[in-house]
Amino acid sequence: MKRINWLGLGLLAPAFCIVIFFFLAPVILTGFFAFTNMSTSTGVTGGEYVLNQTGLRAIEDKGLPEATLKQLKNAGYRVDAKGLAAMAEQFGENAAAEFAELHGDALFTSRRDMERALKDLRANQIRSTRDRKAAAELFKRSVLNERFATEDEFRAVLIEANINPADHDAIVMQAYSGWVWTKENIELIFTLPSSLRYAMNTLMYVGLTLSFNVLFGLFLAISIFYLPPRTSAIFSTIWFLPRVLPPVLYVLMWKWFTWDTGFIATTLSWVGVAPKNWMLDTSTHAWVVIVLINGFVGASLGMILFSSAIKAIPTSMLHASEVDGASRIQQARYIILPQLRWPILFVTSYQTLSLLTSFEYILLSTDGGPGRATEVWSLAAFHTALNNYGGNLQYGLGAAFAMLLVIIGIIASLTYLRFFNFREMIAKPRIEG
Amino acid sequence: MRHNFRTWPLLLILSLVSLPLIIMYVFQVVDSFTAPKPGSLIPGAVTFENFRFLWETPDPGRSSIWQVTFNTFVFATSVAVIITSISMTAAYALSRLNFPARGFFLGGLIVLHGFPTVTLIIAIFLILQFLGLYDSLFGVILVKSALELPFGIWIMKGFYDTVPWEIEMAGVQDGASRFTVWRRLVLPQVQPGLSALFVLAFLLGWSEFVLPLVLAPGSDAQVLSTYLAALIADDSKLDFSLYKAVGMFYALPVIFIYLVFQKKLMNIYGGGTKG
Repeated sequence: MKRINWLGLGLLAPAFCIVIFFFLAPVILTGFFAFTNMSTSTGVTGGEYVLNQTGLRAIEDKGLPEATLKQLKNAGYRVDAKGLAAMAEQFGENAAAEFAELHGDALFTSRRDMERALKDLRANQIRSTRDRKAAAELFKRSVLNERFATEDEFRAVLIEANINPADHDAIVMQAYSGWVWTKENIELIFTLPSSLRYAMNTLMYVGLTLSFNVLFGLFLAISIFYLPPRTSAIFSTIWFLPRVLPPVLYVLMWKWFTWDTGFIATTLSWVGVAPKNWMLDTSTHAWVVIVLINGFVGASLGMILFSSAIKAIPTSMLHASEVDGASRIQQARYIILPQLRWPILFVTSYQTLSLLTSFEYILLSTDGGPGRATEVWSLAAFHTALNNYGGNLQYGLGAAFAMLLVIIGIIASLTYLRFFNFREMIAKPRIEG
Repeated sequence: MRHNFRTWPLLLILSLVSLPLIIMYVFQVVDSFTAPKPGSLIPGAVTFENFRFLWETPDPGRSSIWQVTFNTFVFATSVAVIITSISMTAAYALSRLNFPARGFFLGGLIVLHGFPTVTLIIAIFLILQFLGLYDSLFGVILVKSALELPFGIWIMKGFYDTVPWEIEMAGVQDGASRFTVWRRLVLPQVQPGLSALFVLAFLLGWSEFVLPLVLAPGSDAQVLSTYLAALIADDSKLDFSLYKAVGMFYALPVIFIYLVFQKKLMNIYGGGTKG
């Protein structure tokens, strides 16, 4: 008994591990990533603390007191006791003393001014430029445009610059360049007008393609059933190939077919129509092409499933109807269709889910264009997070888009459990230890 | 009975709706072997000029086609090996062995099998970044195998389910362990299933586009699908004859496999599996 248990789990272990790592972890992490502001600029690992002009303006807008703002801006180079002590250590007491006399308590906003001030030294000149730079560095008290690896370092500088402690938190938050937890993505999705558009596009895409798939699949399956075997074999190959061919090649053929130098444009030029790109010139054309590209692939699934279901219908029923004088359309309507109820339900539910989430063919053909006319939800997630022209990839926002699909996916796949005859499947194995 | 009907109207309609596909197939083959003639559908002279990418790189920036083909082959073969070998053991456990939480694992399998994997790509992208496997062929192989694994296990389980119990019972009666029974008696029974799954997994890997595009965009790990897509996306010089020739080259193994394993593939697809 014990040994069998271990054998079963042992045989399952490799599959279990790989599924956990690359299947379950992504599902859970999509939920986490959706609540971060990860992007190209924040990076995916930790960040650092840096306050630049843009950041300064941002906290100014958030209502940072004028005095603090001034302090942040002007905290450039300050000839203070701490800097003088450091100078005394490196360049000698005399130099420090002379410099204190010349520029004690002076403030310089730029490095150039600071270095010029250092040139004023007469008795204890610092001759080499590199040394002067090093000396200037000793007086640097700036917060702006400096990179700090940890929060503590950054806060220490703020304290040193004498900035009001009440404002520290706001400044630190603004200065952090890494990603943080946020709910903004979800709010953004619900407020952006474009997400409504993506949702409508998705509905249209799924609705149109699905109807095409099912109806056309039915038509193919029934007509192939009525044709002589050799002819039907040719047609089923023609319609099965789009599923077998690599998507890139399949879409390439469509591109050629609709391009301004391609088949449709060339044929129509014979009757005087100016050549144009029949895929991308209007959004209606783009939609027709997209539905056809996906529909031709999807129809084959319906065709195969429906064909095998039709073959299972007892031929005696068809023979009997024939004797009674039924036409072929009547046979299809009253004998074949009622038998296909379950396969149709299966194809519909299965394809709804896969159409809702897949974007490969749209990405390859119109890429969401023209404009964003054919941008569906899943493609929007892809574009936001992984591939856009702007260059700033918003992983967090994209994950929030994807999270909605993941949730739909989980719910839908859980309902699959009810479709399958689960009870029978978990029937106890017949050999017990 | 079929003779009572006239088939030609049906044949006509079917041919008409199939016409776009037929035209695409014919010109895909013809255009790749003939010189391009702009503005005309009548092919030019027969030439192998479109296949020049095989012995020279189309432009300096691109990798050699043979390196890319090698990558694709490694990718597809590794995916097929991983899926087949892991499904082989896991599916047997799920089909025949009694172990704790078996119902949970079976339910999980069905849920995962129906799950739309492409929604996970953003999270996977970030995970590979964390793991340092981003932009490597190895990372994409792991991900692709993992995502297709539920499908593989599902198919193999179907094959194991058809093996008669009597074979195993006889083996156990004769004193063999369950492991030996599996290796010596059951595995030979599902041999056809294993080869079908291997071929199908190879095809899935060979055709995969989105995963390599996102997870391994560098030129070192480029595969044929991303190579061809990058070629097409380059708007500066549109050359459909070249694209079609590359496409022909890319599709050769697929067409070969389709011709040899047509029946098997249709059966597996017909089993209501991924599409």
